[in-house]
Amino acid sequence: MKQENTWQMIARYTELVFYKTYADLRAESARTYLGILWWIFEPTMYMAIFYVVFGVAMQQGTPNFVQFLLIGLTAWQWMKSSVSHGSESILMYRPLMQQAHLPKVLFPSILILTDTTKFLFILIILLAYLWITGFPVTQSYLVLPLVLGVEFLFILALTYFFAAIVPFLPDLRFVIENVFQAVFFGSGIFFSVVSIPEQYHFYFYLNPMATLIEDLRNVLMYNTMPDFQALAIIGFGSLIGIIGSILLISRFEYTYPKITV
Amino acid sequence: MTTHIDSPILSLRNVGLCYKRKRSLFGEPFWALKDVSLDLHHGETLGIIGRNGAGKSTLLQIIAGIIKPDTGKLINYHSYHASLLALQLGFVHYLTGRENAILSAMFMGLRKHEALEKLDEIIAFSELGDFIDQPIITYSSGMVARLGFSVVFQVDPDIFLIDEILGVGDAEFLYKSTVAMQEKILSNKTVVFVSHQAQLIQTLCNRVIWIENGVTQAEGDTQEILEQYEHHLKIHHQ
Repeated sequence: MKQENTWQMIARYTELVFYKTYADLRAESARTYLGILWWIFEPTMYMAIFYVVFGVAMQQGTPNFVQFLLIGLTAWQWMKSSVSHGSESILMYRPLMQQAHLPKVLFPSILILTDTTKFLFILIILLAYLWITGFPVTQSYLVLPLVLGVEFLFILALTYFFAAIVPFLPDLRFVIENVFQAVFFGSGIFFSVVSIPEQYHFYFYLNPMATLIEDLRNVLMYNTMPDFQALAIIGFGSLIGIIGSILLISRFEYTYPKITV
Repeated sequence: MTTHIDSPILSLRNVGLCYKRKRSLFGEPFWALKDVSLDLHHGETLGIIGRNGAGKSTLLQIIAGIIKPDTGKLINYHSYHASLLALQLGFVHYLTGRENAILSAMFMGLRKHEALEKLDEIIAFSELGDFIDQPIITYSSGMVARLGFSVVFQVDPDIFLIDEILGVGDAEFLYKSTVAMQEKILSNKTVVFVSHQAQLIQTLCNRVIWIENGVTQAEGDTQEILEQYEHHLKIHHQ
């Protein structure tokens, strides 16, 4: 085997992350009769429950509540599934990392990529639904990649951070699940910020997901520009979080394989 | 890759490695290795002998770069790629034999195109034929073992680290794989071979290191060290 420089090494590992993501998605779809269709059925059923509970049973005042709700849920589920899968990834890959040296940051990356691929499927369904129900493509769609890109950075930062610390504190997984549940209700998935008193707005927007979901609705439903300043802050903060968390993971690069369960 | 025959390509100097015994904030430390030194030369087969729990497998993990010593150091003079013989590394049940072979080879450090280039040889060696495009969950355990071995055998790292296992599979393939692996070891390949079977060490190794309780007891000529080791075992049995 020849010696490789840093760029060749990065290329090799990138290739590995992509191939493993492809392999995991293939394996997942091969495991069931309906295969890939489950990536659409499962979130659809999940959203249907919320639609029945909050859209039909508890009639809200918000106009076009179904579209409003589905955008929020889609953005939330992308973040939630990536973070909860990614935070367990280093523990999950323990048998493998004890037999071959691999940079540990690869493992959360694989899970983020897997969940992001599934998200893109759901996003296409969501957009089709919006177009059919009278929310066509507008010029605001130009900034859609920006909003999604910032959410992706935020997901990376959060996932890498939890992936770094969960192997040392596995009990944290339960805490994370419960915190998520609380933040879920505070992210404005069922309600708009206008329905909460003015003095709480500051706290509401401390949660980046609240801003991201609102921006996504602005772009997809109201043909309005997102809050660029808030996006810049979230994006920049996430970048710092990503770098910090990757440094944290590499700090414990050779400690993770020694953790005994 | 010109290497002076006398100078080592990889050395361990007074290596110690400590584990936390159980999961808690203050797990009590356990030194799996305390003081191990060795030199590995190009093209040789170095045997590591010792009883169960002597720290042999931990030692291979250090040479493979999976974990770092807590005391002492590992010197890899030419940053050679040392790889454990890890059978079925990263295998996924629902993927085909072909996909698993590519994935496993990539986990062992190959680029995808390199893995693809080796695929024909992997398939030929495994004797799986058309089964290679079936999900491995439909394989017998013998077939999975054959595929796992064929991948490792073809990946061929600079330094091969072998922990006990030489061959796998049903009787016929076990013979074929063991012979192939022994030929590879006896060729100009650099190998570290761990075992508690003196017989195998005797056949395969140029030099031997004997480890006891995480400490190097003796290093040198195979015959000489094996005699010391067996003498030591006898005393302990009496």
